[in-house]
Amino acid sequence: MKPLKQITLDDMGHIALGGAFLGTGGGGDPYIGKIMAEQAIRASGPVQVIDVDDLDDDALIVPVAMMGAPTVMLEKLPRGDEAISALRALEAVLGRKADAIFTIEAGGLNSTIPIAVAATAGLPIVDGDGMGRAFPELQMVSMTLAGVSACPMTMADEKGNAITLNTVDNLSTEKFARSITVEMGGAGLIALYPMSGAEAKKATLRGSMSLIHDIGKIVQEEQVANRNCADRLARELNGIRLFEGRVMDVDRRTTGGFARGTAHIEGLDAFAGRSIRLHFQNEFLVAETEDGKAIATTPDLICLLDLETGVPITTETMGYGFRVIVFGLPCDPAWRTDHGLQLVGPRYFGYEHDYVPIEDL
Amino acid sequence: MADTMREVTLEDLDALEIGAAILGTGGGGNPYIGKLRVREELRKGRKIPVIPLNELPDDALVVSLGGIGAPVVGVEKIEQGEECLRALRAVEQEVGRKVDALISAEIGGANSMEPMLTAAQAGLPVVDGDGMGRAFPEMQMITWSIYGQRSAPAAMADEKGNVIVFRSTLDDKWLEDLARASVVVMGAAAGLAQAPMRGEFVKRAAIPNTVTQARNLGRAVLDANREHRDPVQAVIDHEGGRLLMTAKISDLERHLKGGFAVGHLSLEGFGDSLGDTGKINLQNEFLIFARNGTVEVCVPDLIVVLDADTGHPITTEMLRYGQRIAVLGLPCHALLRSPEALAVVGPAAFGYPDVTFVPMQTKGGA
Repeated sequence: MKPLKQITLDDMGHIALGGAFLGTGGGGDPYIGKIMAEQAIRASGPVQVIDVDDLDDDALIVPVAMMGAPTVMLEKLPRGDEAISALRALEAVLGRKADAIFTIEAGGLNSTIPIAVAATAGLPIVDGDGMGRAFPELQMVSMTLAGVSACPMTMADEKGNAITLNTVDNLSTEKFARSITVEMGGAGLIALYPMSGAEAKKATLRGSMSLIHDIGKIVQEEQVANRNCADRLARELNGIRLFEGRVMDVDRRTTGGFARGTAHIEGLDAFAGRSIRLHFQNEFLVAETEDGKAIATTPDLICLLDLETGVPITTETMGYGFRVIVFGLPCDPAWRTDHGLQLVGPRYFGYEHDYVPIEDL
Repeated sequence: MADTMREVTLEDLDALEIGAAILGTGGGGNPYIGKLRVREELRKGRKIPVIPLNELPDDALVVSLGGIGAPVVGVEKIEQGEECLRALRAVEQEVGRKVDALISAEIGGANSMEPMLTAAQAGLPVVDGDGMGRAFPEMQMITWSIYGQRSAPAAMADEKGNVIVFRSTLDDKWLEDLARASVVVMGAAAGLAQAPMRGEFVKRAAIPNTVTQARNLGRAVLDANREHRDPVQAVIDHEGGRLLMTAKISDLERHLKGGFAVGHLSLEGFGDSLGDTGKINLQNEFLIFARNGTVEVCVPDLIVVLDADTGHPITTEMLRYGQRIAVLGLPCHALLRSPEALAVVGPAAFGYPDVTFVPMQTKGGA
C-alpha cells in the first residue's frame, strides 16, 4: 500500500468509507464530516498529508475531534466553525499556532472532521491517529499510553460557548468533557492532546490516514466489481469473517452521553441455526455466542458490514431485518499490552470477558 | 454607615459568621469552615483590607468569587482551601492581567468567607459589598449579571487540581448550566471565579456595604446574647425588618431535586401568632412566606428563620419537625427590586408565576 500524500476532493469518498469501517459501528457517521471536508477543500484546496517522522521535533501538533453521542449527531448537525474555534481557542491558550492537525480517532466522524479543519486552517494533517479505530472515551488513545496529557483541552459548541479544561489526568478530562458535552446538547467540538513533534513520534499510531483511504478504496472497488469486500479485506488486512446473519432485535439506549445496547443476529447460509449477540457502547465492543462465549472483544475491531454492498453499518442506524456480515480485525499491538487492556479491554467496559486476541478465539 | 470596616480582623470573624448565616436566609452553606480558614490566615499575620465601594478606583479589576455546589456536601467534603485561589489565577491568566480586588458573589452563608480567604492568600483587598445582599441558589441570580456584566471568562477549580475555564458563554444561565454539570464531576463542591469587572461597574451594581452589614448584624446578636436581651429583636432592629410569626414546625416536606433542596414547611403559630397557620416554600433558601393562605413576604425580600430562643439562624437542611422558630422578614436592597432584577430573582423565576412581588411592609409602614 502506498502512503497517502495529499487529500483531494476525489479521496473523500474513500476516506469516509474507510473511516466508517474503522469506526467499528461508532464514532458517528463520517458523512457529515465528509461534506464539511469537501466544502473546505473546495474553498481552500487539497490537504497535505505528512508522515510523523517528517515533523520538526518542536512542531505543535493539535488533534481536533467531535465529542458526543453519534445518535445526537445524526440530528444536531455542527454549525461548521466550532472545530476551528476549538483549535483557535487552544492556540490562544498555548500562545502559539499549530503546525499540523492530527486525528485522534481514525474511525467514524472523527476521521473526516480533522480534514475539514486542516483544509480551513491551511495546515497539513499527520498520517496517523491515536486509536487505530474508534473508541468511546477520550482517554483511550495511544497518547495516554505514552504519558501525554489531554490538557489543556478546549471545547466549543454551535451556540458559541467555549471552555478550557486543565485536569489532573486523562480519565478526569473524559469525565468533565463528557458531562459538559451532555450540557452542550450531546455534541461538541474539541481540541486536545497538544503535542510536540517529538512527542507525536513516540505517542501516535502510524499510517492511519493511508489505511482508511485504502480500505475505502477496496470497499468501493469490490462494489464496482459486484463482489462483497469482506473476502478481499480479510485477505489484505488479516481480517476474519466472524458471522453472517440477520439482525433480529436491537436494544439501544442513549445514556450518560453514549449510545449503549445489544443487537441479536440470527445466522444465515453457512451460519444458519446459530445466533450471536453484539454489545455496543457507541462502538461494537463484544461479539458473543448465545451461550456467552466471546468470539471477538475490544480492543480488536468488530465491524458490521452490509451483506450485499459491504458498506459499514453504524450502531445507531442498524435496525431489525438488516442482513449483515460481522467482520473482525486484530487491533494495533499497542492495545494488547497490560496498560492498553486496562484502558480499553472488555472489563473496562463492564463485560465479563478476559481479552483473548481475535485470531486465538 | 457608622463603623465602616477597613480591615477584617480576628475579632470580626464570629460576628461575620452569624451575620452571614442570617443573610443566607436558610441557604448559602455554613460559613463556619470558611471562618476557621480565614482565622488561620489572620493568625499567620496575613491582612485582609476592606475597600468601601465609593473608594474603589473606576479602572480597578475586580473578581467576584465563591464556592459552588451543594451546601450539604460542603459539610462533609471540606474544601482543600485554595480552590478559589486557583480559579482566580486561571481567570487572571485568561485575561492576561492581575486582579486588583475581590468581592463576594454572595454575602449570605459560606460565600461571605471565600473572598476573604482568597484575599488573604493572594494579598488582595476585598470590596465592601456583594452581588446578592443575601443568598440565592443559582449563579445568574446576581446583580453582576442582572446589570449587564458578561459571564466569561470565568473559571472553576476543585480540591484535586482540576481547573475549567469558561472562555466564552452565551449568558450567565449557560455559565450556570455548564458549571453545574462540571461541579457534579468535581464531587459537588468547587471554587468559582467570575469574569473580571471594572471598578466603575462594581460601584453601580454591587449591593453596598454588606461585609460591614453582616459583621454589625452578627455583633448585634452577640451583644444581645451577652446582655440577655432578645436576639430576635436585635436582628429586627438592626435590619429594619419585621417579626412575621413565632411558630412551631408542624409539617416539613423537603427533598433533593436537581441538586437543590426543595420543599415547604407548615407552621402553627404560638405566642402573639396563636391561631395563625403559616407556610414557607424553599429552594435551598426560603422563598415565600404565607400566613393563613395569603402571601406576605416573598423573594427577593429576605425570609429568615431563627431559633425562637437563641436567635441562631436555622438553615433549610437543619429544619426539623417540632422546632420552635421565629420567622422574620427583612427588606432587600433596592437593586434587587428593579423590574430587570425581579425578572431574575422574583417569585416567577423560582416557579411561582402566580405570586406577585410586593415590597414587604416594614414596622413603620412600607
